[in-house]
Amino acid sequence: NAVSDGAAAMDPAEEPPSILWGLDPVFSAFARLFVRDILQMTESIQIPGIYFYNFHPIYKVDVLGTVVYKRERDDFFCYGVDDGTGVINCLCWKSKLLKEEEDPNKCGDADFGGFNPVAELRKLREAQQRRCRLDIGELIRVRGPVKTSRQQREIMASTFYKVDDPVMAVQIAWMMEVPQLYRQFYDKRFELNAAGYRNPPFNADNLPVRSLNKIHLKPKPTDYKEKQNSSVEGEAERPFCNARLSQLLKEVLQVLQNEGVVYRKVKSQDEVYTVTTQDKDLLIAVKDVIREDSKREKYAEKGCHVLHILSAVRQRYSLNLSKAALELVLKTLECDSDIVSTSDSHYVAF
Amino acid sequence: MSMLPPAAVFRLPWEVNSLKEGESVRTFGRLVCYQPDESRATLSAQHASKEHLVFVHTQFVEPFNPIIGAQYLVLGETENSEGVGVTVRARVLNCVDGVNIALLQRAVTEQRSFFAERESKQVEATHPGDGT
Repeated sequence: NAVSDGAAAMDPAEEPPSILWGLDPVFSAFARLFVRDILQMTESIQIPGIYFYNFHPIYKVDVLGTVVYKRERDDFFCYGVDDGTGVINCLCWKSKLLKEEEDPNKCGDADFGGFNPVAELRKLREAQQRRCRLDIGELIRVRGPVKTSRQQREIMASTFYKVDDPVMAVQIAWMMEVPQLYRQFYDKRFELNAAGYRNPPFNADNLPVRSLNKIHLKPKPTDYKEKQNSSVEGEAERPFCNARLSQLLKEVLQVLQNEGVVYRKVKSQDEVYTVTTQDKDLLIAVKDVIREDSKREKYAEKGCHVLHILSAVRQRYSLNLSKAALELVLKTLECDSDIVSTSDSHYVAF
Repeated sequence: MSMLPPAAVFRLPWEVNSLKEGESVRTFGRLVCYQPDESRATLSAQHASKEHLVFVHTQFVEPFNPIIGAQYLVLGETENSEGVGVTVRARVLNCVDGVNIALLQRAVTEQRSFFAERESKQVEATHPGDGT
């Protein structure tokens, strides 16, 4: 039976490497899984507390079901939640509001023109207590991470509340929606760049070339000095090889330059290339230009045009800066919310 | 550790009579009769121009406010009582009058077909080549 039910059954050796988990959008969501699947999904051997449903790493879930078991302790409630596919224990911590004792002397002493904040607060607390204290047969919504304690799987509720569903509208909507979520997301294998990270096994070849450029350049982002014909000693016996390497390197650098990924701050005998978006001084210079000029009446409304920024940065910082490189810098600054684009070629800063 | 009851699977009212004893189910129907002295309620549902009755043992959910003619959702275990047939011993009995029965039925079927679909895919995956 377990085998036929086990959409989650998985050979532990097949577990995707943890470095890739964060790339799966399901990982950071509260997965709306059937309780049956939450109880059966495989726990990670790399990191306990993480589970796998169909190779999706999962650690927090979202369930809606009927309370079929309850137990109250000083600090928490334990609710057994039945969604029609399984029953799971939910550990629901009481909030401070719920534990605070009522002080009957506090209320009703002041009247602020018909609005009594103390009384309102008490009403609010009562409303919250009503939503947190559930009886058997009532509908509950629970979100939180999945834990396995004493061989038993349970949900540590980060949020939980009673759902008023007098005509079952919420339950019906949930029953209709969850299978769709499975079909669209959970039952689809997560694939990285359509290449699949499992089969064939993940390797650098599966990455698109463009991001490869960045990955290779970022670990040593500062400067790259091209050493003509002197790559590695001992290779000198192979001048042909060296010449080709050097030629290849030149071509690659040219491509990167054309795209603006690298640029030469000064044209000199030493061919020093700088990774554009890692050049902090350049970023500051561009930001300063935009910030200062945004204050001028001429640019205040529409923002500064790219070409205006380009000529200003060239005067102030580096004559060699290309438009492509500037555009990458602008994109980076915009992503960091340092500047704001007002059109596809105008920018302002505040 | 806590003793959780088994999951109560959704059954349509006309399926309850063919269930074995001791199964956990949830089903629905219009309350047509309540006999408090015997702790017995009867739910009724129409299907394919036939009336189907679901007998409910209400001892665990008493006292409750019986509204004759209203829709109820029952959750509990099946029992075989002599002379009556299958009875559901209710753990939960909620009045859900106003529920869209047609939509609820569709949701139940939808969930079932999802599980059937998934299981058939798994069978395919574990026995590739079978039936081709």
